[in-house]
Amino acid sequence: MYPEPENIWQRIEYSSFGTTIAESTWMFPTLETIHVIALVTVLGTIGLVDLRLIGVKGHAARVSQIAKDTLGWTWGAFALAAITGTLLFISKASSYMINPYFLVKMGLLALAGLNMLYFHSTTWRSVEQWESGEYPKAAKVAGWASLIFWIGIVFCGRAIGFTLGIYF
Amino acid sequence: MRECLYGYGAIASFWQGKISLMDDLLFEFTEWLRGTPVTELSLWISDTRASEWIAMHFWAIPIFQVIHILSISASFVAVLMLNLRAFGFAGSATLTEAANRYSRVLWWALLGLVGSGFLMIVGEPVRELVNPYFWVKMILLVIGVLVAAAFAKSLAKQGEATGSASGGTKVAGVVLIVLWCMIIWCGRWIAYAPV
Repeated sequence: MYPEPENIWQRIEYSSFGTTIAESTWMFPTLETIHVIALVTVLGTIGLVDLRLIGVKGHAARVSQIAKDTLGWTWGAFALAAITGTLLFISKASSYMINPYFLVKMGLLALAGLNMLYFHSTTWRSVEQWESGEYPKAAKVAGWASLIFWIGIVFCGRAIGFTLGIYF
Repeated sequence: MRECLYGYGAIASFWQGKISLMDDLLFEFTEWLRGTPVTELSLWISDTRASEWIAMHFWAIPIFQVIHILSISASFVAVLMLNLRAFGFAGSATLTEAANRYSRVLWWALLGLVGSGFLMIVGEPVRELVNPYFWVKMILLVIGVLVAAAFAKSLAKQGEATGSASGGTKVAGVVLIVLWCMIIWCGRWIAYAPV
């Protein structure tokens, strides 16, 4: 059936969990679909906050309002994307681990997380003071960085689908 | 334990049966499509210079798909925010303001979706047009756009009249979310059509 696993990624891939998803005709596409619905929710809600930070004003008078309205949806959808993403990963772990787009995508996810963490522990602390006037440069930089990281994440995610299996 | 496994097996084979029935239906749909002028049309498109150009450039289709996903994001979040506002879960703006603002986002996003979708059809006409999921998606899309237009319009109107959304409008909003998920579902499954 399956060859003897040579490393941890093959061990994951050849587990009964991994082979069940890989061998099923519908599980992988279904997980992908849920992953897409989750990620467009993450992207859309984060995008609303980022756009407000960089100066697009139409949709919210104050950035803290739009952040409050969307935060729960962002985290809920992110959890769903992470779960479905992990399941997709398990079914082809060794192919993903040698795919440069997958590795770059994980790197960009980490950068997006660090950007958010840094912004929230610094500039965001005084949001109530600055959000009624001109937004500080740090807020604009954080917004642009987040947008660029997330568009990069989508690009890499799509690129994985076109390059899986061409790296050995 | 054995009963439990048996139960799981019965559920799995029940769904497997449903899935293979649906696969058969979709396969017949594809067979039918092959006999319609859609096939000739897609072969004609694939001979155009635009289609050849896209086929020659490996990154063209992935980039169109990225634009498509970003547009789905914008449209989906617009539908989500309209719902949140209608149910009173979000925003300090009035219902009419929120309705106008996010329906504008929705229509611009739809333009992005149609544009990038059109480019994908030009690039891979047979894969898209001779595909049952594509046509189910198009039907759902027409219904979705009609429901969205009605939903946005009644939100703006009820905002002016009473300041809050009626029960029927809220139902339309939830239906719209479900429709959008079904459209996304069909879009992803275009890649997995039984042929």
